[in-house]
Parts: sequence; structure tokens; C-alpha cells
Amino acid sequence: MSDAAAAAYAMAPRERSRARSLVGDGGAAWLLTLPAIIAYLLMILLPLAGVLALAFTDYEFGGTSFRWIGSENFADMLKDRTFMASIRNTVIYCFFVVPLSIGIALLLAILIEAGARGRAFFRAVFFLPVVSLTVAMATAWQYLLHPSIGPVNAVLRGLGLGTPNWLGSSDWVLMSLGMIGVWENVGFNLVLFLAGLTAIPRELYGAAEVDGAKSAWSRFALVTWPLLGPTLLFVIIITMTRSIRVFDSVQTLTQGGPNNASEVLLRTIYQEGFHYFKFGYSAAITLVFLAIVLAVMLVQTRLIDRRIHYG
Amino acid sequence: MTRMTLTRRQGLAVMGGAAATIAMPAVARAQSVEINVHYSMPAIFKEAQDAVMEAFTKKHPEVKAAYVNPTPTYEDGAQLLLRNAATNSMPEVSFQGLNRLRMFAERGIAQDLAPLLAKEGDLAKLGYSPALLGLGFHAKTQCGLAFAASNPISYYNMDLLKKAGITDAGFPASWDKVIDNSKRIKALGDGNEGMFFRWPGDDWMFSALLYGHGGRMLNDAETDVAFNGAEGLAALKLLDRMVKEGGMPNFAGTADLQAFAAGKLGQMFRTTAQVRSIANSVGTNFQLQTSLMPVIDPVKGRLPTGGAGGMITTKDPRKQEAAWMFLKFATSPEGTTLMVKNTGYVPCNQIAIDDPSYLADFYKQNPLFQAATRQVPLMVPWYAFPGQNSVRVTQVMVDNLARIAEQKATPEQVLADMAAEVRKLIPRQG
Repeated sequence: MSDAAAAAYAMAPRERSRARSLVGDGGAAWLLTLPAIIAYLLMILLPLAGVLALAFTDYEFGGTSFRWIGSENFADMLKDRTFMASIRNTVIYCFFVVPLSIGIALLLAILIEAGARGRAFFRAVFFLPVVSLTVAMATAWQYLLHPSIGPVNAVLRGLGLGTPNWLGSSDWVLMSLGMIGVWENVGFNLVLFLAGLTAIPRELYGAAEVDGAKSAWSRFALVTWPLLGPTLLFVIIITMTRSIRVFDSVQTLTQGGPNNASEVLLRTIYQEGFHYFKFGYSAAITLVFLAIVLAVMLVQTRLIDRRIHYG
Repeated sequence: MTRMTLTRRQGLAVMGGAAATIAMPAVARAQSVEINVHYSMPAIFKEAQDAVMEAFTKKHPEVKAAYVNPTPTYEDGAQLLLRNAATNSMPEVSFQGLNRLRMFAERGIAQDLAPLLAKEGDLAKLGYSPALLGLGFHAKTQCGLAFAASNPISYYNMDLLKKAGITDAGFPASWDKVIDNSKRIKALGDGNEGMFFRWPGDDWMFSALLYGHGGRMLNDAETDVAFNGAEGLAALKLLDRMVKEGGMPNFAGTADLQAFAAGKLGQMFRTTAQVRSIANSVGTNFQLQTSLMPVIDPVKGRLPTGGAGGMITTKDPRKQEAAWMFLKFATSPEGTTLMVKNTGYVPCNQIAIDDPSYLADFYKQNPLFQAATRQVPLMVPWYAFPGQNSVRVTQVMVDNLARIAEQKATPEQVLADMAAEVRKLIPRQG
């Protein structure tokens, strides 16, 4: 999904032929992608190279010198209680947020799409969390989930149920953050699914019905689900990367506590770099983080892409 | 009206005169020195710093002092200085968290103030008592001067105490009483909580319990932990009792402040730096009262000091002199008075503390601010751990305290783990 390919593809046919006549086919492509390539080099590859170099040093922010220490930073990670907790928590968080936020979004999208009215209203309502500022919303969550004055626990108390300490107990904190993550992601996924649904040709449903797909479920399984494939792949990738990148809610609500129970990868990177000033170690964790993101994307595109047929 | 005519000579004289007047300020400017000053947490310090700057400029017009953009937190402030150190563009004076001065001293950024102080002669006349100087003495150098100090105090919701039938005059002088009160407030139900001791965040509040027992963080040579003795265990056991007997909840982030402002928390133990904001958020909801920290050991007991200290970063003698003038003024009885009136921190100048002409009226009108100032004789520096893992050590301690707060480990287990983990993070030899 490189910008270069997209740019070349986006060219109108007439421009393509004119460009071809001047510098030849391959040359034109390179020429047209040149700005994107330069931007990519400067903005992404160069800083990445810097991070890569830093990861093998013991450089500290503000320090005047550094040493090359090989893979020591990576060896340290395996012994680092905080890092291991942060990997584990990030994985659990992803497995909680990704399926739930995609499942709920799909369900809501189909319901809204099927509904006769109020489409715009529901779309706006569920999209609100996406456009609201996480840090500001975190304050609202903090109040809602407050152990003694929060409305959630007030309701539970009224019903005679237990009142968990949502953000203060290490048994609940990850789940609470997960629920907030689902809430944040559902709206975004919903809009993507709605776009995907409207792109499915109506006549296919008619055709399916003629061919004997009488129930709503069989129409979903035969038409909606397979044709939603490309959207789904995109939604999975986006939600996955958004979940791996969770930071704001953790930083504002729990600061990784109690006792690392809600420490996540991005916060560890931030903490190591800007709190402890260990730039080298922080860079090394960033590389691990990048490797994970890349691996996830590769697995998804390779495995799932094969089974998807694009309309 | 006669027409004015100028001869050539006259014209030249006028022009020369004009040139001279234009040139004059340039001469004056060359004599004055420009310095930049940096501070953090404008939400708390802006008014105080602006007042100090205004008074300073009036008194020393020859120094052109200006603030660089203040940073939102101490952490950001430390980052800014480290970044500036790398590019050689540091502000000449910087106010940093008292426990971060050590790092700047160890990295050679904070200049030693001892020679500048030596030139002043009698330091007592300036109000710099040995205890106050000690707040800025780290790594064998006088790397800073305390500007604003805080210590932990008690906040009470008097209405809630009354509701729980606690009417005895005066405040709990002991933790036993606090814990007993907490039990009774919690028994009211309806989400009421008896107490919160603000142990998360950093090691500061834990050190209040440790110092309260007369304990210390590390040994004198700073080669090994010293908190793993009887005092440390007693401190952890006290925290354990707050949870076990007092039913202390595990509040994350600022949940304790919210519960307190909502009138659902009876007793809260936090820094005095928040007196102003807590009083504002409480408003007239209930009767708020502050008091001293419950005394643990009346003889050996001490309390940690938080707050900000000023350091000088420039090595240039002329700039250093100007920077010193500013820092000296900010920490003078006059500067301290401006700081106290605008923030609520504890004064860091002995004369401002002792001489009633400076702050007596203020404290009479603002009794909530008295608690911290009455504890000044007990204040010892917020311990800054040596070496590169200085800040990480505090996190390790907080992580271990969480295990007690959640009742997942005994004080004995936690103490042993904490000692082992901190030992790994301090430099091998002094």
C-alpha cells in the first residue's frame, strides 16, 4: 500500500500517455512518484534510521557521549519486569478491543443500514467518540468509573451488586481501559462498514433471494459478508494498529498502574525516553514495537488478502 | 515668525547631536546584561513569578531579565533544559523540581553556587539558614536554592467527621486515631470513604512515613539501601493498616481529589501545594480544615520537602553575576513573600518566616496555609537517588507499594522485594 503505487494508479489515462511520450513508461512513473519518494525518505526512513542507530547505544537524553552496546538493550528487555508486563497487557488489550469493536460496529452498521430512518442521526451518535478528544473524554470516564462518586458504581450499588474499583484495581483496570477502547473504535469502524455496505449492489440481494437465500442470515452469509471482505480487512488492520498504539487513555487515567497492571507498549516507550531519559533503550523498544506492527500487517495482508475477492 | 535657516556647520552639529543621542542607549545597553529565566507549572507559579519579575526589574533595571515559555510540568522543564544543554541554548536561570537538582548537578549543568554565596558574607542576614541551603545541596555542590517548598499535610472534611460522630476537638494527633476515624466514616456507607494517603505518583508520600519513623532511604555512603530496617517495615505496616483496618480505597490518578471535593472522603493526606486548588474545588460544600501530619516519632520524625529550586546554568562570569542577582532576589525575604502570597507554598527564607512584618497578616487571613509552615522545622530534603536510575527507583517503590494497597503481599515481602530491586538500580560504588 505504498504512496508511490497509489500515485501512479491515480493518474488519468490522458496524462499517463503524455508522460509516457516524454520520458518513457518507467521514467514517467518514477518522475511522478519522486515527490512522494523524497517525502518518504525524509519523513519516515531517515528518522527510522536514527531510531535504529540509537537502539544499539546507551545514549541518554542530555548526555554528551554514548557507547555502542550491541544488542544489550534487547537483552535487558527480557529481564525488564515493566517491559514484559507492557507486552502482555498490550496483547490482552488488542485481543479484547479488536474483536469486540469490529463485531459491535458490524452489527450496528447492519442495523442502521436496514433501518428506515434516523440513519444520519445514529451515524453521528456513534461517530462522536471518534471526533472527541481522548484526553478530554478521559476526564469524563474518570468520573463515570470513579469508585465512590461515579454514576456507574452508584447504579451497581442501587442494584445491590458489587462495586469494582474500575481503574484502581489490577484485576479490573485492563478491562476498563479495554471497554473505553471499544467505545472509541466502534464509531470509526461503523462508518467504514456503512460505506462498505452501501457499496454492495442491491440487485445481488435480489438475485440471492431468487436463488433460494430466504433468511436474512443466509443473505448476510452469501452476499454481505464476502463483499464486505475488503472493508473488513481494512477495518481489522486499522483497529489493530490503533489498539497497539493505545496511549492517551492509559496515560491520563491510570499512568500504567497499579503495579504495571495497565502498562502498555507506547507508554513504556514514552516513559523510558522522556521520564527516565534512556533514549537508547526507548529506541530499542520502539524497534520491537515497529516489528510487531509490521508482522501483524504482513500476516493479515498475506493470509486474509488471498481469501478476499475484490468486487 | 522668522524662517529658520541652518548654516552648514550648525546642521552638522545638530546631526552630530542626534547621532549622539541615538548612540547613547546603545552604550547603556552594552552595560546591561540580558538573562533568560525558566520555570515550570505556570498554573501554580505564573502569578508568583510575574510578581517577582516585576519587583526585580524595578530594583535592578541594569539587568534585562525575561522569562522563556514556562513548561507545564517539572518533567517537561527537565526535558527542556536537557535539550537546551545539547544545543547550548540554556536559560541562565531555571527553576526545577527540588528532587531533580541532583541530576543537573551530576551532569554538570547546575553551577556551584558556593563561590557566589561566599562573596555575600553572612548568609544568615540573607535568610539562608543551613537547613534551607540543604534543600539545594546535592552531589557535594550547592547546585540550587530552594524557592518554593511544600510538605505533606492533612485535609479534613469536618462535616463528614461530625456525621460519623467524631466530635472531639483538635485533630487526630496519631495514625491510630486517623485509622479509627476512617473505620467509622466508612461505616456510614453510601460510598463514603474514611481516608486516603496519597502513596501513588512517586516515593514522596512513602518517604513521609519512612522519615516519620526516623528512617532513611540509603546509607550515608549511598552504596546500599537503608530503608529495609525496622523503620521501613514500620512504615509499610502502617500503610497496610490503613488499608486493612481503615478500609482505605485504592484511588487511581486524582480520584482522591474528586472524592474529597464531592464530600465523600473524610481524611486526605497530600502535599500542601494543593491547598489553594482544594479549597477552591471544595468551595462551600463542607467545612474544610487542614492540619499537621499525624506525628509518628516525636523525636526522630521528619517530613520530606517538595517544591521548586532555582539553579544557575551559565558559566559566563558577567551573565552569572546577573543570574545570581535574580536568583538572590527571588529567594530573598521580599521575593519569598511574593511567592507565598501567590501560591500557598512554604516560604524558603528564614527571615520571611521569622519576621512578622512579611507574612504574619497573610497567615492570619489564610489559616489553611498555616499547617505546612508550622512543619518547617521538620523538613528534610526530598531524597534524590544517585546515578542514572534516579527517577526509575521511585517508580519501583510505587509499584511495590501498590501490592500492599491491593493487599496482594505482606509488608515483609514487599520490603524485601523493594530493597532487592532498588539495590540493583543504585550505582555499585558511591
